[in-house]
Amino acid sequence: MAELVIENLTKRFGEVVAVDSVSIHVADGEFVTLLGPSGCGKSTTLAAVAGLDRPDGGRISVGGTVYFDERTGTFLPPEARNCGLVFQSYALWPHMTVFDNVVFPLTLRKVPSAERKRRVEEVLALVEMEPYADRYPHQLSGGQQQRVALARTLVYRPEILLLDEPLSNLDAKLRDRARTWLAELRTRLGLTTIYVTHDQIEALSLSDRIVVMNGGRIAQIGTPQDIYERPADPFVADFIGTTNFLPGRVVGAPDGGQALIELEDGQRVAVQVERRTAAPGSRVTLAYRPEQIGVVAEGEAAPDGAGSVVTARVISRAYVGGRWQVGLDLGGGPLRLETARPPSGEQVRLWLPAAGGILFQGSTDVSSE
Amino acid sequence: MSGAAVSAAGAPEARPAAHSWREAPIQYGTALLTLVLVAAPLLPVLYQSVVDRPLYDAGKELTLANFARLASTEGFGLVLWNTFVFSALTTVIAQVLGTLAAVLFGRTDMPAARVLGELFLWPIYLSALVLSFGWYTVYGPSGYLTMLWNSVFEAPFWDLYTLPGMAAIAGVSLAPVAYIYCMSSATITDPSLEEAARVSGAGTFRTLWRITLPLLMPAIAYSAVLNFTVSLELLAIPLVFGEPAGITVLTTFLYTQGVAGVRPDHGLAATAAALMLAVVCFLVWLQGRLLGNTRRFVTLGGKATRPRPFRLGRLRWPLFIICALYIAATVLAPIGVLVIRAFASFLSPMVPLLEVLSLENFTQLFEEPIYARAVWNSFVVSAVGGAIATALIAMIAVIVHRSEFRFREPLHYVALFPRAVPGVVAGVGFFYAIALMPGLGEIRNTIWILVIAFTMRYIPTGFGAVAPMLMQVSPDLDRAARVQGADWWTTCRRIILPLMRPALVACYTILFISFFKEYTTAIFLFAPGSEVIGTALLHLWIQGEAGLVAALAAIQVGVIAVCVAAARAVFGVRLHG
Repeated sequence: MAELVIENLTKRFGEVVAVDSVSIHVADGEFVTLLGPSGCGKSTTLAAVAGLDRPDGGRISVGGTVYFDERTGTFLPPEARNCGLVFQSYALWPHMTVFDNVVFPLTLRKVPSAERKRRVEEVLALVEMEPYADRYPHQLSGGQQQRVALARTLVYRPEILLLDEPLSNLDAKLRDRARTWLAELRTRLGLTTIYVTHDQIEALSLSDRIVVMNGGRIAQIGTPQDIYERPADPFVADFIGTTNFLPGRVVGAPDGGQALIELEDGQRVAVQVERRTAAPGSRVTLAYRPEQIGVVAEGEAAPDGAGSVVTARVISRAYVGGRWQVGLDLGGGPLRLETARPPSGEQVRLWLPAAGGILFQGSTDVSSE
Repeated sequence: MSGAAVSAAGAPEARPAAHSWREAPIQYGTALLTLVLVAAPLLPVLYQSVVDRPLYDAGKELTLANFARLASTEGFGLVLWNTFVFSALTTVIAQVLGTLAAVLFGRTDMPAARVLGELFLWPIYLSALVLSFGWYTVYGPSGYLTMLWNSVFEAPFWDLYTLPGMAAIAGVSLAPVAYIYCMSSATITDPSLEEAARVSGAGTFRTLWRITLPLLMPAIAYSAVLNFTVSLELLAIPLVFGEPAGITVLTTFLYTQGVAGVRPDHGLAATAAALMLAVVCFLVWLQGRLLGNTRRFVTLGGKATRPRPFRLGRLRWPLFIICALYIAATVLAPIGVLVIRAFASFLSPMVPLLEVLSLENFTQLFEEPIYARAVWNSFVVSAVGGAIATALIAMIAVIVHRSEFRFREPLHYVALFPRAVPGVVAGVGFFYAIALMPGLGEIRNTIWILVIAFTMRYIPTGFGAVAPMLMQVSPDLDRAARVQGADWWTTCRRIILPLMRPALVACYTILFISFFKEYTTAIFLFAPGSEVIGTALLHLWIQGEAGLVAALAAIQVGVIAVCVAAARAVFGVRLHG
């Protein structure tokens, strides 16, 4: 266990800058997730920490050990790093049994054979795979392979644990179970962990902190709540959870922590502004989570508190089991929300609480799709 | 449970012992060995071609006189012309036969198409030398069928002692190459292309002609260049049939000038070899270019679905009879009659076979220590040499495809370069290398020089068997081992090489067969005591011992048949998953 410090990490593939000056500090025992779409640089960052790729610049150190330092030319080969890495493909060796797979790192470390056996049994018990020690990987299900891959990594007590989309090859139901199991395991082990995923639910439910990456750069670092409730930019807002974006213009100076935004069709919405200043006349984008938008029935009064009521046109409605998914058009922009009852008419009245909206400067081309 | 958890998350382990220093010597050593092996025959040839006297003489001076001398050598123009005509004719015959076979056996409802296709491939497993003797036994001047023909008609319409006759033998033995390329191209071409043509109203033969054949063109073109190259390098057929008739091609020119002549002219031989090397280098480069194009053509659909076969209709049985006759005449007869000849004291259509059956040829063969030794040597060279070569090829493959070795691209290039070195040139080259290097004199009269030369020749062949499988092994598997603390060499030994076992077995089998039938390089290098079957065959042939030739050839055919059958059985067994 140790803290991981990544400073100004840069990796190029030819002309393409895959990782662009990324700095991350992971505290001892912390569980940090690198989250982003494919090609955002998260796996490249992980490979650089594991030593599988030689970066072009920056510095990586774990505990007191420098893994890589471009300035001094230090580059520890992967075998000298003592990292644990679980691959997306699990990478179990097909010619070895589960036991042989798990014991391999201990053999390399010249652990005495009696202790080897004990520790393999122990770690297989930990991942609940004890009865399968004599099986070959192809005789196991995806979920079981994943547990063996984890056992093979935990058995040698790595300094840090790196997980590269370990759940992405499982089917949806199994993935939920594995996620819960992984969450229990992580609290029990308390290892410094870097977890790479493009799945926001995994990221939100497992992590102490999330690093959202986009185009080789860090878009935002923060706790799951931070990232979800206070996204730093439209990309993060769009990537984490479903977000509706409404283009508009600031009318009137911010007053009492509130700004008044005029949508494209002239309707006006009040939003709470914190530190962000909204200059009158500037173009802005309003972002709302679907669950923050309420439907106000015909003739019903708006809920108490600060907020605005706007009218939107219904474009589509689809029953998705227990709820309705409603597609709306608000001032020329698309809007999606889920309701318990289908909207009755062509129009709905929406309640936009002032505290729920997030204001971004400028127009954005991020659509809610 | 909690106890286990604490233990798993306990104090980190000591780091594994670092062995990273092993990586560099292994990689540089393999690369250097490969480079020396490939350069060993080439440098002496090139050097000999530009000096004025034999390599082992003192007082050599650099000169270009050899080239002028070669150009003005009487009859050299005719040699080049013969070589060209022979190769071109061979290629045309091989391509036509191979393409027809691929379409008929692979894409139509001809009866017993699979069996015919299998038989069609047979010549590729045998050495051209054995095939030549087979053809001689059947179609030679006193051959079985020739005599049968003579008893009914006037003189036969064939004559093997001509360029077309030689090209016919060579064409039949190289047709499998065209067949294999066309078949693999046909199986990965999208069958819907043909179905579309048929749906739009094209008949069987129009579809074949307008759609199937044009789609095969890249494969035909590529294998044509390949076959042209191989026929340029062919020594056996011109040696057996061309030399007695006074038809010399480049390979027999090299053989007579380089080693077999009374007073070998090394300058001339080396210059001819250098010329040949240049031509073949160009052809191999052309193959590479064409292959690039082929890939662009062929990977259209990529589904391994078996297309619906064409219906031959009324032509089904007539075409079958023609194909069966062809297989009988060109594959079964030469091999079969040769084997029968081995078990007979005399073979003639006039004498009943039962009266002449005997094992005399074999007893006589093994009474002569030279020939018994030749068989034994062939086994040792193939078994031990094949193993050594497989080990080297495995090392080259893991370094080229699975390491961060700085020179892995150059190593890849060097390892594949022997493709461009004809067997006769390698033979001449190693012959000079022994003369040039004082240290090599020790192995001169042993079979080890053959092991070295054969290994050099067949690195690309073995590499071709190993590399595709290696590239299918997910790199995550070795990365996982590296991250867990195994250095590069441990990863190779414990993970990559065990996973490559089926490919290594395949490589070993291919090398065993190749070494067992190799003769071209050997006839330049063997010495008393280091004969192999190929050189003994030629020796017996020159003495006119037809029965012993047949017996020795039958041994080669038998061993290779067993190997091919065993390999089939072994490759059927897959490793886990």
